[in-house]
Amino acid sequence: MMIRTSAKSPSKLGLHLSRGFIYALIIFLLLMTFVPIWMLMVNATRSTTEIQQGISFWPSTHLIENYRILGSKGINIFKGFSNSMFVSVTTTLITVYFSFLTAYALVVYEFKGKKFFNNFIIVLVLIPTQLSIIGFYQYMSKLGLTDNYASLILPTIANAGGVFFAKQYFESMLIQDLIDAARIDGASEIGIFHKIMMPLAIPGAATFGIFAFVFAWNNFFNAFILISSFDKYTLPMLVQTLRGDVYRTEYGAIYVGLAITIVPILIVYALFSRYIVSGIAMGAVRE
Amino acid sequence: MRLLKIRRNTYGYFFITPFIIGFLVFGLYPLYNTFALSFTNTTLMNASSAEYIGLDNFKRLFADDFFMKGVTNTWLLWILNFTPQIGIALLLSAWFTNARLKIKGVGLWRALFYLPNLLMPATIAALFFSLFQFYGPVNQAIVQLGIVDEAVHFLQKVSVARILVIFIQWWMWYGQTTIIIMAGIAAIPVHLYEAAMVDGATGPQMFRRITLPLLKPILIYVFVTSLVGGMQMFDIPFLLTDQRGGPSSSIMTNNILMYMKFSSSKGHIGAASSVGVLVFIMTTVVALGIFFVMRDRNIPSERKKKEKTLRPLRTQMAELKAQE
Repeated sequence: MMIRTSAKSPSKLGLHLSRGFIYALIIFLLLMTFVPIWMLMVNATRSTTEIQQGISFWPSTHLIENYRILGSKGINIFKGFSNSMFVSVTTTLITVYFSFLTAYALVVYEFKGKKFFNNFIIVLVLIPTQLSIIGFYQYMSKLGLTDNYASLILPTIANAGGVFFAKQYFESMLIQDLIDAARIDGASEIGIFHKIMMPLAIPGAATFGIFAFVFAWNNFFNAFILISSFDKYTLPMLVQTLRGDVYRTEYGAIYVGLAITIVPILIVYALFSRYIVSGIAMGAVRE
Repeated sequence: MRLLKIRRNTYGYFFITPFIIGFLVFGLYPLYNTFALSFTNTTLMNASSAEYIGLDNFKRLFADDFFMKGVTNTWLLWILNFTPQIGIALLLSAWFTNARLKIKGVGLWRALFYLPNLLMPATIAALFFSLFQFYGPVNQAIVQLGIVDEAVHFLQKVSVARILVIFIQWWMWYGQTTIIIMAGIAAIPVHLYEAAMVDGATGPQMFRRITLPLLKPILIYVFVTSLVGGMQMFDIPFLLTDQRGGPSSSIMTNNILMYMKFSSSKGHIGAASSVGVLVFIMTTVVALGIFFVMRDRNIPSERKKKEKTLRPLRTQMAELKAQE
């Protein structure tokens, strides 16, 4: 009770005023977040003529037509979509599996050099790895792996951020008893990981998987440097070609192309935002 | 029994082996290769006849304003988006976690603020490019509303290009920063605030004396990860204008310069590597330096630290009460 009374020192009016201000700011930020995205969606449904006539926040009826124009000028957005899907799904499976395997080793076993390895993971998280892309490119071209999805997928076996995340997750599950019980039952070590720990870690693996997927889906730089044949282009690379001369005046088609890249993400987020938001904090807190 | 345990622990090595091999093959060797290439005049054409040229690539970079311009641009664009980002994130987190204000819908707001972070940067750059084109919607709107008489060539103006990059980066990241800081605040023991409230501390006092000091590790984490990302900024400035960081190289970042050297007609991968090497060294030194120097000071004993943060507050309160 004491707390209540002493806490009410600022006047009620002041409290109302600051609340009003905060809600106004929230609305302003929401507008700023959604007006550009909404414009993108609406313009994807409007014809180029309509777009040229002026702004509208109301959808029109030309979505299908715009999509046809998009396809008629040489961009196969569906192919790009399935390319991106393939790269993102494989990357996600590989990086989730190996991140959790590595993290499991760090949480469950005691071995020489473990502490060093732990610190090493933190250092790796903090190092700008993209800057070695040129050396990576030349090395991949020697191996004949440029213009090959392997050069995008295989490096994610060693994902320091993923190990960091998975370690936090395993540490938050109390697991030693389960492991001991499984050992008494005669399970092999890798069997314990596959049959007991990995199924238990599925919520964490799924959360991290969403991040891995979104990252791979959105990744432009690496694909832009490593992939060269047009039929292997991923979505972000197609977005970059949408800016070219062929589409100069086809605004409706451009907006459809852009919308296709973000709609899957919007759907994933609408379904899983709770896990995603809690997952963001997990990588950072309790360092 | 003991022997069994030791033998079992060798599984630790087995399980981290794929990671280590992956790192050596796809992480360390490419990094070494980038350093090695930076001392040669390798191009995509002369791969077999490339020569060792010592520090020539680096000398050339420093002799040319272009490199310094790239570095300056990158720092400028990063600092000017990070400062408002951490500012608004701190404000929002302080408000959202304030028990007196009782803001409604906090979970929903922060989830919505985070959304732009998930969208494809290439798409966002293309979207803002379309919005701010000469015949784009922004020009249509301001002409229709009579704000200007004639459409503006927004993307040819240095200041507009920079502000847009800064805005987009801010727009994409402040939601995430807010979520991380809120999680950090949630991890602070409630009894600290209760104790302070018993002593009559106000909201801002508690924020400055309890929240901020205890948030330090989180703030360092946010700072360093943002810095590392910021130094590699590419998609937005590259795709927003002419793919060269124009107008007048005003948004040409480190990575854009590296890419331009790589994609030049001859493909100067030696020179491109030297850009990567310098930026790598700069970023790593600053990031690891900040992270370990600031963090180690924190570690000794969390408990003592909390005491320390509380003590000045307590004495201050006592003084205030005495004055009454």
